[in-house]
Amino acid sequence: METVEARLARARAALAGVQYRVGTTRDRWEAPTLPLAPVLDRVLPQGLRRGQVVSVIGSTSLMLALASAASAEGSWTAVVGMPSLGVVAAARRGLDLTRLALVPHPGAQAAAAAGACIDGMDVVILGPRLALSDADRRRLASRARERGTVIVAEGPWSGAHATLTAVASRWHGLGAGDGRLRGRDLEVRVEGRASGPARLVSLRLDAEASVRREAGVPEPLRALGGAA
Amino acid sequence: MSVVTVVRRAVLWVPDWPVVAAMSDAGLGDDAPAAVLHGRGLVAVSAAARAAGVRRGSTRRLAQRACPELAILPYDEGRDSRLFEAVAAAAEQVVAGVEISRPGLLMIPADGAARFHGSEEALAEALATAVAEQAGVECAVGAADGLLAAVLAARDSALVPQGQSRPYLAPAPVESLGLAAMERAQREEVERLASVLARLGIVTLGDLAALPFADVIARFGPVGAWAHRLASGEDLAPPVLRRSEEDIAVEHVFEDPAERVEQLTLVAAIAAERLDRALLDAGARCGRVRITARTERGHELERVWRTDVGTRAGAFARHMTDRVRWQLEGWLSGTAGGPEPAPLVALGLVAEDVVPLGSEQAYLWGGVSGADSRAHRALERVQGLLGLEGVLAVAEQGGRSPRDRAHLAPWGQEAPPARAVAHPWPGRIPDPAPATVPPAPRPVQVLDAGGSPVTITRRLAVSASPTWVRLEADPADERARAANRHPSAGHVGRIEGPVWDRPRPVESWAGPWPVAERWWSEDASRRAYLQITLQDGEGASLAVLVAYGEARWELEAVYD
Repeated sequence: METVEARLARARAALAGVQYRVGTTRDRWEAPTLPLAPVLDRVLPQGLRRGQVVSVIGSTSLMLALASAASAEGSWTAVVGMPSLGVVAAARRGLDLTRLALVPHPGAQAAAAAGACIDGMDVVILGPRLALSDADRRRLASRARERGTVIVAEGPWSGAHATLTAVASRWHGLGAGDGRLRGRDLEVRVEGRASGPARLVSLRLDAEASVRREAGVPEPLRALGGAA
Repeated sequence: MSVVTVVRRAVLWVPDWPVVAAMSDAGLGDDAPAAVLHGRGLVAVSAAARAAGVRRGSTRRLAQRACPELAILPYDEGRDSRLFEAVAAAAEQVVAGVEISRPGLLMIPADGAARFHGSEEALAEALATAVAEQAGVECAVGAADGLLAAVLAARDSALVPQGQSRPYLAPAPVESLGLAAMERAQREEVERLASVLARLGIVTLGDLAALPFADVIARFGPVGAWAHRLASGEDLAPPVLRRSEEDIAVEHVFEDPAERVEQLTLVAAIAAERLDRALLDAGARCGRVRITARTERGHELERVWRTDVGTRAGAFARHMTDRVRWQLEGWLSGTAGGPEPAPLVALGLVAEDVVPLGSEQAYLWGGVSGADSRAHRALERVQGLLGLEGVLAVAEQGGRSPRDRAHLAPWGQEAPPARAVAHPWPGRIPDPAPATVPPAPRPVQVLDAGGSPVTITRRLAVSASPTWVRLEADPADERARAANRHPSAGHVGRIEGPVWDRPRPVESWAGPWPVAERWWSEDASRRAYLQITLQDGEGASLAVLVAYGEARWELEAVYD
């Protein structure tokens, strides 16, 4: 007995084949993706495509989480213009520090430095206060598309493929003079150029092993907790 | 069931190598009592100290009681292997290929060399003479079939005849298995195994070899199999021979002491060019370059830079010129740390890890080419744009506060982290680690319900429960600046100090966690940490780490 979904998929495949032969659609080329931490699957269901720009507003942890799985699997990461990046946090998220380079103060050379990084690295994280004009940003984005580099930019970026805004974060574990930070729920608004209306996704970052086990968090979330 | 054919080998053993190396480094005579201390115990003891009753493994205090004039020297694996190169080079004058098993122990395939020298006795004599004359070190030489027998033979200065290894090993205690372990971790494992065996009543290697191999592997796993093979006089792997290459050095002495970097730009280029040519003449490439300089006051400055082997064929001189120039600039301006800046009188470049052209070591997965070299080139270009400190490599190091735990060094420079991560670091701020750690602490106000600052006494009593926190405002925030200027903010006239953002209510907090660090040094700090979550809009919270010390609050990190 065939399910409805399977029949629909077969029908769509047949239709796509006809369209391809007749020439009514052009094949859209899909860029290869970089590995993405499983917890972010719901944030970027299409994956972290090479050559895209992802703008992140309001959470450095989220930027690190975006770069972590790719870095752990051999990608190079450059962080431009973020002098206060927490190195230990990056390591705990799963970034490989031997393949991480910081360019903390590019100053007036921000465009040139970011461009050079885009040429050579797989993921480039751009800080919030860089001396980049709109024309510079467009140039960097097209260079990234050409080179297959992912730009993760802090702050708004016009023309970004996806914009992730941390709208609310809730921390657990503190009391009145006791306890310690144990975990947090982050609510992220995801807006994409081609993905329709904005979605709200809640994530659990930095959850601890004991807390996670009690809470019975599903598998994908557990994996990020392991990296945290 | 031998996996590897048993190789006849000679072993050259320098007794107490760590202490011999440390003494020659410290300029002590051979007959001085000395010992090398690692952690809490002595790892090597010189002959004079042993005669005075100092034992390996004893603590510093016990050793000094036995021998008050004992010189205690620091442990340094790098020094041990560096100085052992001289011994290996001396041995290579006699035999064509040697294997350094660990600093202090050389393996030499005996068959061909013994034929060349006439007999094994002649080979042993030639080796001992060469090492004594050229490296100035006493050594013992032995020969036998198989690894462990050869090592034991070297300790007895014995030549075990062919095929006699098993009977030779049989009476030796099981503890001697540790001598064949070449790394510290492996040695600990083997020592554990030996103590278990001794408790089971298996005290000699002969007893161990008599056990069925399958039973040993079932009970003890891989380490048992390893021990059984060695005890039976077998080999585990054929010896790996390597030819060591001499370091290539270039020295440049200035006519006048140089004070400004402009005077040195050309010198840097010339020295790099000469090193490149010297390397090419030798048909070699190098993995590291040590830059040394001598100041007018006689200080020796040195720094090691990595260079990637292989891909650097044409551009080596230009690549090195930049690094030399940056390094000299750092030393002359005093930003690189070390002694006070002074005019330089000499510059030296030493190429280390020299390998013959074309035999560079590739990574385990994939070659030196591809993404890695592309990334290196990109970072070097950025470094060319922004200068030495423009690109930083990061590592994790030991420490308590999030800032102390990050180690930053200019990209390409070899600077090992100052503090080991593996140490316990009691009082460390617990995980999760904050994602934002300002390079220097920022001021912050922690206020009680009445609006006056919260204080913490030396006995960690918190004056009142924190209720409000004011962070520094974003410098671009016009509204905060205007509010700060308004007379209701409590200022009259010119405003100094930071611009404060609006007060945020504290949701929950934890602490104080006291951390008193390095009271013996100048950068001593005595602080108490609080983790605070602040209400930040509708149902959202912001977590920060603040520290109280010397009567003021500082923002250490933000968990964002």
